[in-house]
Amino acid sequence: MPQSFKLDAFNALLLDSVGVGLIIAAYPGFEVLFRNQRALACFPGLADVGARLSGAVLGFDEGALRAKLDAGEAFKVGVEVKLRRRAQSLTLTATKASFGDSAWVVVEVSNDTKVRELESMIASYSKMVEQQNRSLKKEKERAEKLLLNIMPESVYKELKTFGVTTPQRYDEASILMLDFVGFTQLSVEHDPAAIITELNDIFSAFDRIAEQQGCERIKTIGDAYVAVSGLPEPAPDHAQSIARLAMMCVRYVKRRNQTHAIQSRCRVGLAPGPVIGSVVGIQKYVYDIFGPGINLASRLEALAGPMEILVSEEMYERLKADFVLEAQAETDVRGFGPKQIYKLLGTEGMTLDIEPAPAGH
Amino acid sequence: MKATLFDRYGGFGSVHKVVLSFYDKMLDSDIVGPYFDDVDMAALVDHQTKFISQVMGGPASYSNEVLEQVHRRLGITQEAFDEMTGLLEETLVEFGFKPEDVRTIMTSIRSCQPYIVAKG
Repeated sequence: MPQSFKLDAFNALLLDSVGVGLIIAAYPGFEVLFRNQRALACFPGLADVGARLSGAVLGFDEGALRAKLDAGEAFKVGVEVKLRRRAQSLTLTATKASFGDSAWVVVEVSNDTKVRELESMIASYSKMVEQQNRSLKKEKERAEKLLLNIMPESVYKELKTFGVTTPQRYDEASILMLDFVGFTQLSVEHDPAAIITELNDIFSAFDRIAEQQGCERIKTIGDAYVAVSGLPEPAPDHAQSIARLAMMCVRYVKRRNQTHAIQSRCRVGLAPGPVIGSVVGIQKYVYDIFGPGINLASRLEALAGPMEILVSEEMYERLKADFVLEAQAETDVRGFGPKQIYKLLGTEGMTLDIEPAPAGH
Repeated sequence: MKATLFDRYGGFGSVHKVVLSFYDKMLDSDIVGPYFDDVDMAALVDHQTKFISQVMGGPASYSNEVLEQVHRRLGITQEAFDEMTGLLEETLVEFGFKPEDVRTIMTSIRSCQPYIVAKG
């Protein structure tokens, strides 16, 4: 009998002071008989006379509620209510309590809002951190790519691991020096942007060829291109590699001229020799190489005619078995005295001449 | 690199308490609270997390353009802005932030005012 439910002042006070909301309803009618202050704060409608669990205030599904309670189980439902402007996420658990002949429904109202708020905050924070990590990673990759452009990968790894690099001596290496004839003149005759694009295209192609031939581009200085073979990994055939690189670069420029308005003419000098490779600079890194072979290659390049490759005698000795070379008149090379020099003409299956452009170009 | 306030005050492990406390204060305020009447809880917590993280140099960084863009339609008054900064100051003091750090944060927030307060 619902009317038999009576609480004395002490018990009412006790139920008001517990940490959860409590609603006690009649069974089987579901009329609300008692609610403590916490439950009332969440559902002000409970104060109405005749409020029922399945009514507008709580909105329990009466059939489902009855089924659960009759089976002796708890009926659970999650509810969102807004108190002032704060969304509260509540879990309501209804259970049946029997005393003798009478039975009641006890509904416990627990507030999970803080947990939900924390969950949202963690979600928000992790998303932020993940995003930050992604952009840091991208940034790092960009920086790495830039550094790999200016130094060999093995040197970069050393720098990354130890923070410093030690200069390395390479006894067996070959150097290529290449530049363009009349480039300065070209740059004033044409649109500067077009010239730079041109140079960029050509050097990028050289880089690809160098990589393919196992050579390293060391640097470009204006229109000059400096590459080396035999470092950082020693290669017994460094002279052959650099000679193939030289030939392929000249052939590339020839072929390019067939289809491009701007005509480029390059000249190349090759020399072997011991070199020292090192990162130079603290804030601005440059990987550079030093050694007499570099100067010699540079002098030979200056002596070469357009689309010619000149090599030193030491280079000739290494190449003569596999390449076609032509002796030149002995020439006085600045800083080196009179030198026998050779012109590189080709190798088996490859000459500097290229077939005419296909029709239609 | 100098450690950010975010790191010096214990990273997210400590800062999350500031976020929740500030969130409570903002909601309880009758001046700034109404701006959040129709915002759901997750979005609001997200906002406060990013906000505190931003002002303390944590993993959030919004340019002035973005700040202006997201606040433009909200019609935030000067009064609401002042209330918000006041509440934040109160929260930081409650959590034992050093006076000079509170000042640093307040100065940084006030510099964002033109991008947040609606132009009359």
